[in-house]
Amino acid sequence: MATQTPPAPAPPRPAPHAGGLGTPRYRRPFGAGREVTIHWLTFLVTAALVLAPVIPVLYQSIRNQPLYAAGGAFTLSNYVHLFTEADFGSIILDTLLFAVLTTVFALAVAVPMAVLLERTRFPAARLFGQVLRWPIYISPLVLAFGWIVVYGPAGFLTSAVREGLGWVPWNLYTLPGMAFVEAVAQVPVAFLFCANALAASDTSLENAARSVGAGPIRTLRSIVVPMLRPPMLYAGLLIFGTAVETLSIPLILGEPAGLTLFSSFLYEQGIDSVSPDYGLLGAASTFMLLTTIGLVAVQARLLGHAQRFVSVRGKASRSRLLDIGGWKWLGFAFVGVYVVFGALLPMAALILRAFTSLLTPLVNPFDLLTLDNFRLIFAYAPYTESIVNSITVAFIGAVAVTLLGTAVVLVARRSDFRFARLLETAAQSPHAVPGLIVGIGFFWAFAWMPGGDAVRGTLLALIIAFGVRALPSAYGAISPATMQLGAELDQAARVAGADWWRTVSRILIRLLVPAMLASFLLIWTQMIREYAPAMFLAGAESQVIGTTAIDLWTQGETGSVAALATLQIAVTALVAGLAGLLLKRKHDA
Amino acid sequence: MPELAVENITKSFHGTTVLEDIDFTVADGEFFTLLGPSGCGKSTTLSCVAGLEHPDSGTIRVGDEVFFDGLPRTAVPPEGRNLGLVFQSYALWPHMTIADNLALPLKLRKVAKAEQRRLIDDALTKVDMAHLRDRYPHQLSGGQQQRVALARGIVYSPGVLLLDEPLSNLDAKMRGQARMWLKDLQREVGITTVYVTHDQIEAMSLSDRIAVFMHGRLQQVGTPVEVYETPATPEVAGFIGRCNLLDGRIDEESPADAKTLRVELGTTGRHLRVVRTDTAPAPGEAATVGLRSERITLTDRTDAEGDHADVNVLRARIEQCSYTGARFEYVLTIGDLRVHAESAVRHTGPEISLVIRPEDCLLYPRAT
Repeated sequence: MATQTPPAPAPPRPAPHAGGLGTPRYRRPFGAGREVTIHWLTFLVTAALVLAPVIPVLYQSIRNQPLYAAGGAFTLSNYVHLFTEADFGSIILDTLLFAVLTTVFALAVAVPMAVLLERTRFPAARLFGQVLRWPIYISPLVLAFGWIVVYGPAGFLTSAVREGLGWVPWNLYTLPGMAFVEAVAQVPVAFLFCANALAASDTSLENAARSVGAGPIRTLRSIVVPMLRPPMLYAGLLIFGTAVETLSIPLILGEPAGLTLFSSFLYEQGIDSVSPDYGLLGAASTFMLLTTIGLVAVQARLLGHAQRFVSVRGKASRSRLLDIGGWKWLGFAFVGVYVVFGALLPMAALILRAFTSLLTPLVNPFDLLTLDNFRLIFAYAPYTESIVNSITVAFIGAVAVTLLGTAVVLVARRSDFRFARLLETAAQSPHAVPGLIVGIGFFWAFAWMPGGDAVRGTLLALIIAFGVRALPSAYGAISPATMQLGAELDQAARVAGADWWRTVSRILIRLLVPAMLASFLLIWTQMIREYAPAMFLAGAESQVIGTTAIDLWTQGETGSVAALATLQIAVTALVAGLAGLLLKRKHDA
Repeated sequence: MPELAVENITKSFHGTTVLEDIDFTVADGEFFTLLGPSGCGKSTTLSCVAGLEHPDSGTIRVGDEVFFDGLPRTAVPPEGRNLGLVFQSYALWPHMTIADNLALPLKLRKVAKAEQRRLIDDALTKVDMAHLRDRYPHQLSGGQQQRVALARGIVYSPGVLLLDEPLSNLDAKMRGQARMWLKDLQREVGITTVYVTHDQIEAMSLSDRIAVFMHGRLQQVGTPVEVYETPATPEVAGFIGRCNLLDGRIDEESPADAKTLRVELGTTGRHLRVVRTDTAPAPGEAATVGLRSERITLTDRTDAEGDHADVNVLRARIEQCSYTGARFEYVLTIGDLRVHAESAVRHTGPEISLVIRPEDCLLYPRAT
């Protein structure tokens, strides 16, 4: 009888039905599913990494002493000092002008090229399309060196033109000159945005215009170009933001001409100055941070979240291309001149410069061939070390950032974590933090934190700082891949008895491997070029290629800089090639 | 196996109520179908049973095991419910072979290797797919994937099998075959099954009972015959089968005769004698008459319309006649009322007589 049975302790779940296998059992740390631990861990690590460089900057800007020194007090004098300093107004104006010119130049070059290559019958369109993307893999710093070698005051073409004409119509060491070089570095960005938008757009719109009587040129003018407004706007804002924060060109081209921009101001205040005014540096950094955050917020608002990261898609069928007749050759000349003189010649000259003792139109460069430039690098341990450091940092960093990025994507997109949206925003936010400020911020963070001294000046510090900078790219590379995996795949696993972590490890991660490899490659190429945070963070033993190149440049060792840049390009190309093969094989299998 | 009980679940999303007080019980071994147009809440209900979504309130349980309770808040995660779920998209894991797809739920349950093989063979044999066990999902046709998905749903003997429009990605012919085959399989396995579909033919032919959903509410639960013959609401009548819904008013002078009522049709001045029901509106009140198109007999005879002893005869104009192969479908007008009817014979019109039996008329009150 039921009343006589002693009350048994209630089992957590009734026994499986007769003949059934029941449900799998999982451990529940802290009384909740183990996914809760994983979600929170991912969230806290991401939040800590993202906030670590920002909070010290903000805090320092309102302290009257270095933040690690005892006895500091609250003050607003740093801001007063910043805005009353006589130069600051002109620094802001120059930076603004530089950024506007860069954006205008880059769009003026990229948009016509995107339309010509993507939408018209164009000779060798595929080849040009590929070549135009190259500068993405080359650091703007390297590009700047290449431009100086060709177009600088003693540059190859400058000398040739001066010989011929008696004067030179250009000067790189001016704001428009700097903006043009920066624009060359940014053209691929604008080109990719516009070309992708065109490839994804519906050609039937053009066909409709043709059918109502519009000629090819008219169709381009009235239909194709107006449709490019959103990608132009977005690319424009992106380029503007990059121009505001970039350090390489203001440092290499601006400083010698006495032109100080925002980033070079920070550099002067923080590194060049004998006794840095940390409060001023903090206030200036905060100001710059607010500017870049504002720009990113405008971008986000304008284009919404989904288009934040436009992935590089395959081309749609190019079946219906417009034939613009004779105009094609004008376009061909335009694209050809740009590709040859803007991208190829500076790179070729830089590489040639690496193997010669001098590069001048007066002497046949092949008479001056030498390996001395490389010898200098390999003879001096810190220089050689910087190459090894860059490779190490980029490799470990790319693995770590890809793993963290994957975790963030999975938690943000494929879990019921309460702060999923916040996590997503956090992972994308370093996008708004200039590299120099990441460097300053972590420098202070390590000085401030107990035990931070052990990290400061090591490669670990660089991996962390470069990694934070790269996190949005990893997120952007992996997140679209999850959108292609139907939610039913996880739901099927969950219902079949897998908890969140099993679903992730058995199903989702396996399906994300190609995206993770792509992310690794992207981060690797980004990190091997990265140097801005290292300007503050790197110690004597942890220099990277970029910082060494700037160091050599200031010593006037142009040849060795060229050699170093050549090595960087070679390593990047090698890994990109290997990864390309690997991805291809994976894809074919 | 115990019964599945869904008790008073309610769910709203961004202020819109998507489920309102849904309440039904599925008996052991029963084939139970949630039927309704898209957006009616049937899939949401299934997701709530599976644990992929949670209602705001209510209770979901299988036997004594509570899967969800609004108060105190209990929500067993999907992996703790031991259910089988087959998706419309099949959701086979693309990086695993067919056998591996079936093995995962068994591995998660720590079933020994040999036993795994036996269960997988068993399940794949049931769906006639054992010969393709080492293929990958993308190497299979849609119909084959659908069978594998079903095998994956039953290989670990779940308590309840949930099917979310599993046949709707198949072409029409395949769907017919798959339907019969699914019915046989369910009977053979004897598993309690909840089936979601918007296809009334699937629902009618497969189900022991059907729950008709509309606008997030459960309109009616009943056997296929009950749902078709005595639909609870005009919406149900309109959704299942082809049913004319004619607005009218119960005649004031409706004879007190207990068996039938006279309904005045719209402003046409014609009357229709219909069988009185318990829910019939009182004389003078607005009513809706449901009239299935295949229950209307068409005849060219020009007998006087009006009251006959046992049938209604109405004259109508033929507006449109379309040939569908098996029959002719007509659009007719009686005054300003449009009526759909069908017949095996071609009538040329222009006028025609409709013969309607009072017991074929469904009578509903109408809100005015």
